Amino acid sequence: MSTIMALSLVLLAVMILVGGRKGAMAFLSIWLNFGCLFLAIVLVSLHFSPIMVTLILGILMLALTIFVGQDDLRTTQTAFFAAVLVLLILLALIVPIEHWAAVQGFGMEDSDELEGMSLLVGINFVQISIATAVLSTLGAIAEAAMAIAAGLSELIEQHPTISRRALFKSGLHVGQQIIGTTFNTLFFGFFGGLLGLFIWFADLNYTWGELLNNKVLDAEIILVLLALISVILTVPMTTWVMAQRLQISRKKQS
Amino acid sequence: MGKYLRRWWGPLVIFVGGLLLVIGTRYAAPLYSQPVMQVIASRVTQTSKTQDEFNNRDHQYTQQLTGRMLNGSRRGHSVQVKNSYTTSGAFDQKYRVGDQVFISMTKQTILIKGLKRDTVLVTLLWLAVFLLVLLLHRAGLMALLSVALNLVVFFLAIELNMARRSDGFLWLFGGLALVFALLTLWLILGPTKQMVITFVATISGTALSLGLSALVLALTQHKGIYYETMAYVTQVAPQPLFLAATLLGSLGAVMDESTDIVATLFELKTDKPSISAHELFQAGRQVGTTIMGPLINVLLLIFIAETFPIALLLLKNGNSWGYTFSMTMSLGMAQSLISGIGIVLAIPVVSFLASRLLVTKAGAVE
Repeated sequence: MSTIMALSLVLLAVMILVGGRKGAMAFLSIWLNFGCLFLAIVLVSLHFSPIMVTLILGILMLALTIFVGQDDLRTTQTAFFAAVLVLLILLALIVPIEHWAAVQGFGMEDSDELEGMSLLVGINFVQISIATAVLSTLGAIAEAAMAIAAGLSELIEQHPTISRRALFKSGLHVGQQIIGTTFNTLFFGFFGGLLGLFIWFADLNYTWGELLNNKVLDAEIILVLLALISVILTVPMTTWVMAQRLQISRKKQS
Repeated sequence: MGKYLRRWWGPLVIFVGGLLLVIGTRYAAPLYSQPVMQVIASRVTQTSKTQDEFNNRDHQYTQQLTGRMLNGSRRGHSVQVKNSYTTSGAFDQKYRVGDQVFISMTKQTILIKGLKRDTVLVTLLWLAVFLLVLLLHRAGLMALLSVALNLVVFFLAIELNMARRSDGFLWLFGGLALVFALLTLWLILGPTKQMVITFVATISGTALSLGLSALVLALTQHKGIYYETMAYVTQVAPQPLFLAATLLGSLGAVMDESTDIVATLFELKTDKPSISAHELFQAGRQVGTTIMGPLINVLLLIFIAETFPIALLLLKNGNSWGYTFSMTMSLGMAQSLISGIGIVLAIPVVSFLASRLLVTKAGAVE
């Protein structure tokens, strides 16, 4: 049996042990997300527009992360709408940033990996860098939106007549509670994988000036910063969506 | 008026200071020892179509750039340099008028080294910090502080590792994980009982997962894990590097989850002091089950999305899906799965610890 298969089985087993049916659903959503990601790469290799592929599959992946295995509709729907809105804003920010930074494709440090390969593949790698930035951030957006929406749902349940102003205040409060740990999830998630690269830099005595302008490192830092920005934006956005929905449902009742 | 000012001075200072810093980077060329030029004119001199053995079509261009030197002894002089780029731009790029570019100059030739990217980097950092402080005030600053401190510790650990020539590499980075967890949780939660529980749960969850995964790796003899595809390997062997990267990568997510669970259980206990240890344990499991899926997805997308460019390149170079997966994603997938196991195992550990400690504490008070 291959190692990946064995690890998957272990993960499935512990997920079912701890979470029962919900655990099995969560396991499913992980593999479906992976499937979407792989599909995105295959579609782009067939010359579909990277941005369109990212947008469509990105929304699908948000839905998979948010809806599969969860049953509180007020939380999930709010989180989903907010996450999609953040995704659109993010795209509008990422497109100019990636064009400006020109960190697409590969850097000098990747040369070994590229040996013997044709690089002239006729696909614009700036667009690939945009797709990468969006896709790597999706999970964080979905997670933050879920956390905020769940907190607010509970609040509305306890205080059904809560005012719009109080709701916003609570939304920001929940945001303040999760931001510290969420940042660290992203920080470690991105930088853990960069351990090898940092040892490389230290080994070859890169200067601070070289590091600051290094293509490979800057590509990573830009990904982290974009992820942070999207999580920050998710906080007011989710609260706003929740407030709008609350207003609509109250109008219907009266 | 005073209150109004106090509330807005923080974001305002950051806004103005950041703006000045961004503008400053455009004039920072004299601070660099490498020669920098600003492109003032660009003309495409050559265009050609290419086709490789896999029928990929592309365009290749040569541009003649005129630049003005921004630093060094030739500051203000103009220079001519050629740059070739392709439509795909995987390893090259087109330069536009206004771009600041590092070059290397010898007596005979001038070569382009790369784009000066500090302006865009500082701009994005400025945007992130500004939004953070504007929307989340003090909590935002603390989050930033913890990330900044972690970065400093990370660099120190790498320096230490270099000094020791990577001797005892895994021990060093295992120790680093402990320091990271302690530092981060202390900054977020303060020196509280909550922090101790979260810390112990994070460490045991991660250790359990790594132990279990090491066992699985050994039993399956690492089949299908291509360590040789690991990027940026220099003096440390790929396998320990992979383990250390996985350990650090999952640490943040496990802390995130444990913090959430412990916070919820403390709240429950305050709301309903008579709650039993078993009820608390079940409540912890409930919270954990809800967040584990999204959290594993966060890491999965980070680990796998980054392989997009290289996977695409392999596919376009006539490789099969299976080969492309093995060569680019097997490591990221294994990393995601191991992290996932840690995230799941931390749930019962943290729920158990919190429920027992919380209930005995109440008993002692009575």
